[in-house]
Amino acid sequence: MKVQHSNGDTLDLMTVNMGPSHPATHGALRIFAALDGEDVTAAACEMGYLHRGFEKMVEQGTFNMVLPYTDRLNYCSSMMNNVGFCKAAEKMFGVTVPERCQLLRVIVSELSRIIDHLVCLAANLVDLGALTNYWYLFNPREEVYKIWEKLCGARLTNTFSRIGGLYRDAYPGFEGEVLNVLKSIETGVADVRALIDTNRIFIDRTRDVCPVSGEDATAWGWTGPCLRASGVDYDLRKAEPYYGYDTFEWDTVIGTTGDTYDRIMVRAYEIVESVSIVRQAVDRLRPGPVDSDDTRVSLPPKQLVYHDMEALINQFKLVYEGVRPPVGECYDGCEAANGELGFFIVSDGGTNPYKIKVRPPCLTQFAAFADMIEGYQVADVFATLGSINIIAGELDR
Amino acid sequence: MEIILFIAKFGLAFIPLSCIAIMIFLERKGASIIQDRVGPNRAAIKIPGIGSVRGFGMIHNISDSVKLFFKEDFLPKHAHKWYYILAPMLPLMTAILTPALIPWFAPISLEGVEVSGAIINANSGLLMLFALGALSVYGVVIGSWASHNKYSLLGGMRASAMMISYEVSMGLSVVGLLLLIGSFNMTDIVEWQAANAWGVVVQPVGCLLFIVSMFAETGRTPFCVSEGESEIVGGFHTEYSSIRFALFFMGEYAHIVIASALIATLFFGGYHLPGLNTEVIHAHTAGVLAGLLAVKALMLALFCLMTTRQKKLYGALKASDKAVRLKEYSLFQIIFGGGALVAVLIAAVLMFIPMDGLLSELLTAAIQISIVMAKTMFFCWVFVWVRWTVPRFRYDHIMALGWKVMLNVALVNLVITAIVYKLLIETGVISG
Repeated sequence: MKVQHSNGDTLDLMTVNMGPSHPATHGALRIFAALDGEDVTAAACEMGYLHRGFEKMVEQGTFNMVLPYTDRLNYCSSMMNNVGFCKAAEKMFGVTVPERCQLLRVIVSELSRIIDHLVCLAANLVDLGALTNYWYLFNPREEVYKIWEKLCGARLTNTFSRIGGLYRDAYPGFEGEVLNVLKSIETGVADVRALIDTNRIFIDRTRDVCPVSGEDATAWGWTGPCLRASGVDYDLRKAEPYYGYDTFEWDTVIGTTGDTYDRIMVRAYEIVESVSIVRQAVDRLRPGPVDSDDTRVSLPPKQLVYHDMEALINQFKLVYEGVRPPVGECYDGCEAANGELGFFIVSDGGTNPYKIKVRPPCLTQFAAFADMIEGYQVADVFATLGSINIIAGELDR
Repeated sequence: MEIILFIAKFGLAFIPLSCIAIMIFLERKGASIIQDRVGPNRAAIKIPGIGSVRGFGMIHNISDSVKLFFKEDFLPKHAHKWYYILAPMLPLMTAILTPALIPWFAPISLEGVEVSGAIINANSGLLMLFALGALSVYGVVIGSWASHNKYSLLGGMRASAMMISYEVSMGLSVVGLLLLIGSFNMTDIVEWQAANAWGVVVQPVGCLLFIVSMFAETGRTPFCVSEGESEIVGGFHTEYSSIRFALFFMGEYAHIVIASALIATLFFGGYHLPGLNTEVIHAHTAGVLAGLLAVKALMLALFCLMTTRQKKLYGALKASDKAVRLKEYSLFQIIFGGGALVAVLIAAVLMFIPMDGLLSELLTAAIQISIVMAKTMFFCWVFVWVRWTVPRFRYDHIMALGWKVMLNVALVNLVITAIVYKLLIETGVISG
């Protein structure tokens, strides 16, 4: 393909479709690139190959029926999406969940963040050609999945949170297993760090590759680890603390240049911070109720249902019709593994949501991707694509 | 006699071919050990009277090769037919040719006939080896061009550029050694090392450069940019399937075996071990053989121990096929344990067999072949080890490393070697 450069040169470019089916796109994305040898001269990105109509589907069911759909957004950290949606819905109701529920949500959220980061790091390192790290990171992830199985019965699309509480309380022995898993996570991450920290090839391939400045990242609307890698100290857990995140002792991890190296390392260090949060949360876990006592969202206790007419009607209405949020609009976001996962909910007072709009964290990152990779090499494209952690399920919805 | 020996030595050409099967096993099992997982253990064959045998994943080789033979041999419409078919043959062909030049044992004389350790004992041996080794990239380049696929083209471009760059530093890295030895003849090179010191001792920098260049030549991680499976899909073999794809891989593995044999021959003494030069082996053939068999028995005993441990672990598990597997483990225990005993017995018997001229000559050659093979297998393992440890280079970093670092270091190494060598001769420390 012959093209005229703005400075008058004639370039002979080769156009390449990377994706939608490509070993490194992890899902279905398309990067249409014009290559000058190995250099990407121009690129255009396309999404939508995994579009399932999430936002239309959820209007067909009740509010609680939205929850299983949210699992499919970021399928690497399903539990967190549930928490995000429940948090938004509870804000609509004005319900506060009990202490134990909050702590359990923190634990599953942080474990989800950890496994999401593990997947991101593992896949990114595989894209760089370092295959062994994959197993070092996936073995602890598997242990987390065993906990997920015990908590909610599913492996991939786990749904644990419910509006106003949880599916059920944690099983006996949950705390011990979580603490054990944390140990193996720390071992896995330490093994990988030992392999990559001083590895010249790794550093050469990631440092100063596709950097994004703090201003650019903010302008693109980035959130989460990628934004923090660019040096912007913004974390919803600190900026708008929820579930007592401000009471835990932890630090936000900040990068300096916003290159691929920073994005990888911010994730690696965030795992360490999350491990510390989970330890503190497990420490604070005390027996207690996990569902709020608000009758609009939670089922009344069985004892009451059998003896009390109002409670029976309440149970009947909640089961047969579902929860009914007040008329109005509400936006609430939580710090998901990739960044701010927001839900904008419009309710017309009925049992079905009138409209739910998702703010997926990786959409903004993918929007910037074409600009990021221009001028870099083919190999850098995939090193960077891995580092911004595009999850097609959440990107296309 | 000469003709029979010449034909017999052709058997050596099959060393890389038979090593491919071992390499695949080594790669998969080595990867699983490094990556903290079980590795291939599913394929099994049923032997009548013995039961199902998995052979530690060895059976996977058979099932994989059968699969690759019987898969559809797809020829893309847009491919250039003849080049597409020709390309996979080239790497394997060159890899089968090269062992003809490697000395597998010291020259022996059988009934007055001098037999060299290499099939072709050419005076330009090393040059021919390099020439043949460089030919294998043609397979990659032709295959990628004939595939008519953009990713293949990128892979082929990377492969050819890398080959050209590393061919230079590879050639220069051994020049220092050749300067000391003064011969391109492979047997001379090994004999010089046996008489003086191993190449790695006199040319440590050259050895390192040569090993790195060999990684690049074989296109293994971290130099696997021509394949780059996460970047350019499959690189040069994106369009290849079934046995043609397998041929590329057999070529790669055979190339690794050859590269390892070269490293062993040029820098690690070939068939020579310190204290075990040809004369010593020749004089004490029975003793050396008994010693080797003792090592073999020890290894078999270790395998037997490993199997016993695995059997115990498996016995503690809940598994539906427990009886079958435990039987298999018992079989291995018998084979390894029995093998160890047989090895010890043979070693004991050997002590009482008189070693006359011909038998001693042949056994010396056999011992030396096994020494070369042991060193070769070690370097094959290094290839596997490195592959599962480091990430892939970026294409331009490989170029920078090749031209800006390795070439310069090789040149400096050559100059320093030349100066030191000259000074040593001048001062009379060594004789030129």
